[in-house]
Amino acid sequence: MTRDVRDLLAAAAGLYRDDPRASALLHDCLNRLEQPLRVAFTGAPSSGKSTLAAALGEWPTRALRDLVLLDDPGPADDVPDATVRLVRHLEPDELAAAHPPGGSPFARQSAVNSVLVLSRADEVGAGRIDALLTAKQLARRAWREDPLCTGFLGVIAVAGQLAYGGRSLRDDEFDLLAAFAAVPREELERHVLSVDSFTDPAFPGPIPVETRRSLVVRFGMFGVRLALTLIRTGCDDRVKLSAELVRRSGLGELRDTLAGCFVARAEALKARTAVIRLEALLAAQPRPGGDRLVSRVERFAAAAHDFRELRLIADIRGGRTALSGDPAEEAVRLLGAQGTAPADRLGLEPDADPGEIYDAGLDALRRWRHEAERPDRPHAERTAAHVVVRSAEGMLALFA
Amino acid sequence: MTAPAWLEVLNETMDACRTHGRADLAERLRRRRDAPPGQIRLGVLGFPKQGKGYLLNAVLNAPVCAVGDAPTPAVPTEIAYSAEPAATLVGRSLERIPVAVERLTGELGARPAGTLSRVEVGVPRELLSAGLVLVDTPPVGDPRSPRTAAALDLLAEADAVILVSDATAPLSPAELALARHVRTWCPHVLVALTKIDASPGWRAVAERNRAMLAEAGIDAPVQPVSAVVRQAAAKAGDADLNARSGFPELLNWIAEQAARPAEQSRALLAAVGVRAAATELVESLRDRVDTVAQDAGLGQAALLQRAQRRADDLRRQNTKWQNLLSDEITDLLSDAEYDLRERTRKIVNTIDRTFDEGDPAKVWDEFAPWLDNALAEAVDVNYTWLADRAEWIAQAVAACFGAQYDRALPDLRLDGSGVEGLDDVRRPKIEKFKVGQQAFTGLRGSYGGVLMFGLVTSLAGLPLINPVSIGAGAAFAAKTIKDEGGMRLQRRQAVAKQAAQRHVDDVFIRFSKECRDSIRLVQRRLRDHFTGLAEELADELTHERETIMAGTAERERRTVHIRREIDRLAGLHQRAGELGTIAGRQRRELSA
Repeated sequence: MTRDVRDLLAAAAGLYRDDPRASALLHDCLNRLEQPLRVAFTGAPSSGKSTLAAALGEWPTRALRDLVLLDDPGPADDVPDATVRLVRHLEPDELAAAHPPGGSPFARQSAVNSVLVLSRADEVGAGRIDALLTAKQLARRAWREDPLCTGFLGVIAVAGQLAYGGRSLRDDEFDLLAAFAAVPREELERHVLSVDSFTDPAFPGPIPVETRRSLVVRFGMFGVRLALTLIRTGCDDRVKLSAELVRRSGLGELRDTLAGCFVARAEALKARTAVIRLEALLAAQPRPGGDRLVSRVERFAAAAHDFRELRLIADIRGGRTALSGDPAEEAVRLLGAQGTAPADRLGLEPDADPGEIYDAGLDALRRWRHEAERPDRPHAERTAAHVVVRSAEGMLALFA
Repeated sequence: MTAPAWLEVLNETMDACRTHGRADLAERLRRRRDAPPGQIRLGVLGFPKQGKGYLLNAVLNAPVCAVGDAPTPAVPTEIAYSAEPAATLVGRSLERIPVAVERLTGELGARPAGTLSRVEVGVPRELLSAGLVLVDTPPVGDPRSPRTAAALDLLAEADAVILVSDATAPLSPAELALARHVRTWCPHVLVALTKIDASPGWRAVAERNRAMLAEAGIDAPVQPVSAVVRQAAAKAGDADLNARSGFPELLNWIAEQAARPAEQSRALLAAVGVRAAATELVESLRDRVDTVAQDAGLGQAALLQRAQRRADDLRRQNTKWQNLLSDEITDLLSDAEYDLRERTRKIVNTIDRTFDEGDPAKVWDEFAPWLDNALAEAVDVNYTWLADRAEWIAQAVAACFGAQYDRALPDLRLDGSGVEGLDDVRRPKIEKFKVGQQAFTGLRGSYGGVLMFGLVTSLAGLPLINPVSIGAGAAFAAKTIKDEGGMRLQRRQAVAKQAAQRHVDDVFIRFSKECRDSIRLVQRRLRDHFTGLAEELADELTHERETIMAGTAERERRTVHIRREIDRLAGLHQRAGELGTIAGRQRRELSA
């Protein structure tokens, strides 16, 4: 795929040889194919972009290597390859505003580069202790049921502040929280009711007001309450508490989605960005002989299977297909949701024997070909099966 | 009892609203007028997820409104006093379905959207006993959505409004706009700052909100509250905690609204409603005046100028095309005649040459078809050329009109050259020198010769008829025959020439006449066509100018009318202001 795009860009560079601006743009497109994937965080002011980007960015894991996180880039100067869109509420107005913009037919058809995040999930339900669970359910339901959430690779509830606080939890903070948790519950309850009561001078114990204030600013009232509950129920050291806070914050789910949908498809997404920029150039400054290039771009767009895979993964996971249960799981795996290497797609060990991989691939191909051709299934389901078949074929083609 | 003064002003404003196509404003005023007396309606408005439901539940100390992740109802909920808790769903056609209060949320969720018009809830609360009705509204959002319309609809009947905005962020521009709108229509507005328990920076947000409201000229207090703290206080029976929730102040404010004397309140509300409607109406009327003025300012002068320019152009065009046409036709007349003459002259030359040498008696049969052909060709070529020239003239004249010439050229097809109607040249009377005539001529010559030489030789004693005289007679006979033959040939040639030339002349005369007629016909057709066009253009122009003039008059009339209406509305606005002053308020005046 990247090679095709390179060829296209080279051909375009020939066409625009005498135009320095266009040449610079094409050169930039070529360079970008070598560079890490750019993921932009966008959303309304104070929706928690920076906090979330920081929480994700300080995660030194293999999964998010080769990713550049852009905190709310300007509209024109830096074109992101993928987007994390933050909304504070899953309300129609906000969702409508967060919807990915249109563009060329290819841009729309391949618009599988956005994840929707219900940020500040800890504020759902007036900060009740089950706020995060409720937020996750809301996100799940919205992804399955709300037409405005179609087109996103996932709708994920994340409490950014909690995630960031949890990730950067310091020993002194843990000690403070542990000290508070040691106070009998009934006694403490009225003091953790609100920010005001928590930072009230009448708070029992020697901890200064400012220390308490910094704690509540870092974790939020919900975070403090949650941390206290967690310490009481067994997270008795900093590492455990930190891990549990992060786990509950929804950050892990976001990271997995980014890894599965963005990092694993980095080549395809970068190629997409390049093609869209090329399309825009060809449309804005038509040149004689550009027609051929335009039709080559169209051919490329029509053949790009990665985007069909991503869209189908999103549809299956979002519950927008008739597939469910084991077949659904197998389908998303074959489509590459857990990695695009053949072993990952087939659910085999990474060091599996090539012969074994080939046999399993052939088996999957046969079964899904059968699914794709069953006349008693609705058309949409057969179409979905066809995409899976195409993925299996592509996998077997590697052995040819 | 006479009707109160506010009623009159209100009715008049309603009329004005209806007249100017703002039935929505009129409807709001009507609802204001017909609001049931003895009820104080307090609306609760806000954007989604700001904590409206929590606030209301905390005010009532009862889980009346849907909160949290439950779907927010798309219809207003009216909460009034009743001795026993009760809930009623009111359908689209005002049918009433009683449901148990505790099942209300579930029932609401189960009903398909659009089947209900409102929900009525009764709770036994002291606060509501004096006739206070709390109205929970669907969340405000997109200004075009029906949900927003339904929420704002409440303003027509609300005596006071609580605007709910949470402390996680200062008022957004949309919220500020909502506050301004609400304050225009309703004299008593409070901004409740919710969720202060969870927001470390709520004090700064409250200050920011107060500053923004003051800057925007919206007089509305900001009241920070926490439903969570209020709930905990209620549970623990902790008065100190309750004080910290901010709710006592809020309840005080609500009680103040409920305690206002009804008649004074109605007068104030009517005044505010009239002023809001008058302001909105005047704004839309001013917009209209502006648009009209813009049209006039921009269009008027430019249009007239353009029309004037076009009239000048047209005049110039008229002279130009008329001159061109007459010049071209004159040229064509002389050219056509010259051409025809030239062609016939060549034919005549050929005729002369032919009969100077040839014997008509021998060549006529060959000559006659040639002459017919030559003449037909000459006429045809001349005619074709004539038609081409006519076409060219039409185009040249059309070009005078430039881009305005937007139609087909007139049909200049002439009736055909009439070549088929040419008479064949008639064979002239050509006498041949027949044998009998030759014999007779010979005899005549020989007689002279015999006589002449006979007489001469008779002097020499020879008889009159002798070999010499016979010889001379024979010689004379031969000569006479020869001479006579030459003379006859010349005569035949002359006759043939004359006949052929006369024929050519006939054709020439006839066709030059036909040419002239054709050219005149072309001239007339072109003249008629282009005169018609010029007249049409002139008519168009006149019409356009009339329209412009009429438009100006109409616009002026409309502007004057609208200005008068604005003045009238300003009057109503002022009268309403006076009523408002009576009701204890000072307000700014609307100026026309």
